[in-house]
Amino acid sequence: MLWIKNVHLLDPTQGISGSGSLLVKDGRIAKLVKPGEELRTEEALAVFGAKAEEMIQQVDGGGNYLFPGLIDVHVHLREPGQEAKEEINSGSRAAVRGGFTSILAMANTRPVIDHRALVEYVRLQGERAGKARIYPVAAVTKGLEGRELTEMVELKAAGAVAFSDDGRAIQSAELFRLALEYAKLTGCPVISHCEDESLAGQGVMRKGPTSARLGLRGIPASAESVMVARDVLLAGETGGKLHIAHVSTKESVAIIRAAKAAGVDLSAEVNPHHLLFSDEDVRLTETIYKVNPPLPSKADQEALLAGLLDGTIDMLATDHAPHTWDEKARPFDEAPFGINALETALAAVWQELVIKRKVKPEKVIELWAVNPARRFGLAGGTLKEGAPADLVLFDPEWRERITPDTLESKTQNTPFLGKELQGFPVMVWVGGKLVVNRRKVQD
Amino acid sequence: MKAVVPDAQPRKGRGDNEVFGEGENRDLLPPGVKGCRLSMIEGKGEDSPMHWRHKDLLDLDTLTVAEIETILQTAGAMKEVLIRPLEKLPALRGKSVALMFYENSTRTRSSFENAAKILGAQVTNFAVAQSSVNKGESLLDTARTLQAMKIDLVVIRHAASGAAEFLAKHLEAGVINGGDGQHAHPTQALLDCFTLKEHLGGFRGKKIVIVGDILHSRVARSNVIALTKLGAEVMLAGPPTLLPAEMKALGVQTTYDLESALPGADAVMALRLQLERQRSGLLPSLREYSRLYMLTTERLARTGKKTFVLHPGPLNRGVEIASELADSACSLIEEQVTNGVAVRMALINLMLGGAGYALDQECTPA
Repeated sequence: MLWIKNVHLLDPTQGISGSGSLLVKDGRIAKLVKPGEELRTEEALAVFGAKAEEMIQQVDGGGNYLFPGLIDVHVHLREPGQEAKEEINSGSRAAVRGGFTSILAMANTRPVIDHRALVEYVRLQGERAGKARIYPVAAVTKGLEGRELTEMVELKAAGAVAFSDDGRAIQSAELFRLALEYAKLTGCPVISHCEDESLAGQGVMRKGPTSARLGLRGIPASAESVMVARDVLLAGETGGKLHIAHVSTKESVAIIRAAKAAGVDLSAEVNPHHLLFSDEDVRLTETIYKVNPPLPSKADQEALLAGLLDGTIDMLATDHAPHTWDEKARPFDEAPFGINALETALAAVWQELVIKRKVKPEKVIELWAVNPARRFGLAGGTLKEGAPADLVLFDPEWRERITPDTLESKTQNTPFLGKELQGFPVMVWVGGKLVVNRRKVQD
Repeated sequence: MKAVVPDAQPRKGRGDNEVFGEGENRDLLPPGVKGCRLSMIEGKGEDSPMHWRHKDLLDLDTLTVAEIETILQTAGAMKEVLIRPLEKLPALRGKSVALMFYENSTRTRSSFENAAKILGAQVTNFAVAQSSVNKGESLLDTARTLQAMKIDLVVIRHAASGAAEFLAKHLEAGVINGGDGQHAHPTQALLDCFTLKEHLGGFRGKKIVIVGDILHSRVARSNVIALTKLGAEVMLAGPPTLLPAEMKALGVQTTYDLESALPGADAVMALRLQLERQRSGLLPSLREYSRLYMLTTERLARTGKKTFVLHPGPLNRGVEIASELADSACSLIEEQVTNGVAVRMALINLMLGGAGYALDQECTPA
């Protein structure tokens, strides 16, 4: 029995933005006291079926935001196989510390998540960790080899909520077409990592003036966009359910906008780092900026933000890709792609987009909780009564320096390391259970 | 400054371990110092023209025009030393230089090796093919090993752009970039500038055309930076697949039409074409490439003036340069090799010159 008082409620699903309070019972939202409404203690006791006020745990939110826990549809947890980078436990802790109460774990582990036992392993490890809800994404093709489809129906039964070969793109158009067809048996979206490998070649950053100057091999924007075009055409033709991961080019945004207008069953995400860093930030030895898709041009960033605001892009997602310091401490060509993001992404978006008035707070919740829940058929993403009590109390003034000893993730490959960010979750509940208190993950 | 080079080949025996190898002449004292133009310079402070402020030489972006001129001037004096039959110079006795060549390059490696040995430094060649490097040791661990060995200067060549800068970040020792990926090859550009200066006198109002595989060329990138800093006009020519639009970011004119670029050119530099470019689909054939971009005597006549020809080597004769042109009087290709040693001597001496030795340009040969 929990009563969170004195908060600014944010819930786009009910059009709520204002002060109120919220009651939690049995892991679910029992009562939402909306702006302008009052709830007397006796009424609260009645909601809980409690006899005395002392039986109710009361939290003073201090006027901070209370919104539905964020849902990140693109996370690499590395377990099984690469536990030096991350584990399901550490990733789950990092997630809640960053404000994410549900995350989708990508299938490109070692071994690849392409069998029922592996899907169940990821799900159970998530339950054992007991922090964020871990939803497995299963592979589209066995071993991510792009040759044979996985047993999608069985994988869904084991707990998979989507299918993706993320990390690699399925180069055969015919196989991807078949994947969209077959996935209809599950109702789950196919998540496409759009990258034409022949165009991407051995590239390590976006092809353009900076790659020319640095002598780093370039990946043309078309390496992504031609694949986005292919995939939306196939989704349109098959009627399959498609989600485009990490959109990073203005051409991709235009293609997605046109396809949505044509009625294709399509959603898309953008990663915060593609909004906040551009190819101009890349330095010859700063592998922290080596990420796939590569950091885009300034013009792409404008198109991505416009796409987010007009609904072309449905959601934000971190593409949390942890790597060890040793792996990143290599020449640019040799370092792995990826940015560690779970614990910094929300604060970075808050500081750079919300405080600077480019995006409204409600929009962030829509993009990072409401829309992911709807698209992937997950509980949460709302403060409606009866919904799971996955909640974030967010202090927009909280400033914090990002340091290795504060991060819950096993690795620190974030461009914000050593820098200060503003706007952090101070308390987080998953299913009514307090998992973060005053920025500390609860054991 | 103008030097006559009777025999463009480096002096016989130099770099040959039997004559100049480690150990044998290591303890050779300044031999009285016959013909040597190096002497102690006392009390040179921070403002001395010989004081070199850079720990590393990674690219030419960070060098001022004055610093480039200092290197070229020092190289002039070094060349004097080089073309005289001298014993090893004691300038850098007790200093150690490590050569780490992750890419095969006999020419550049032996040029650095000669330069360091002539100056009296102890040279360690890390034979990359047989060393721990091929056993998967990371560049970072290699850097730590070098650090532990108290090496004074490391020359690195590596296939990855930024590898030299990476090493420099993790080493107290100085690092010279001997070529990193497609990024930079500063000593090549400096020796090209030195060679051009000897023959053109200066750079103001001079036009230099660089032709070939610009996209993959660290030589082209470094030369564009050096030559434009020194005041020359640079034009890049090559097929669109090897000269994509973003190369305009280098800030010089580009063209696909070599012949239209040639009029007025004081020098033309042909780049080595990696023969595997054809396999990667960047070129239909070497035949068509050479028809469009090979430097020939007839084509060079389009400049309408006396024009020098350069090439970083090794040559693909009949692909990027016609054989008879490479061997003609206007070819500076062999001189580039000699100058390469002089420029590298100059750099190594400037970078390791903290011991108090520097060139005494007033000194006349004994």
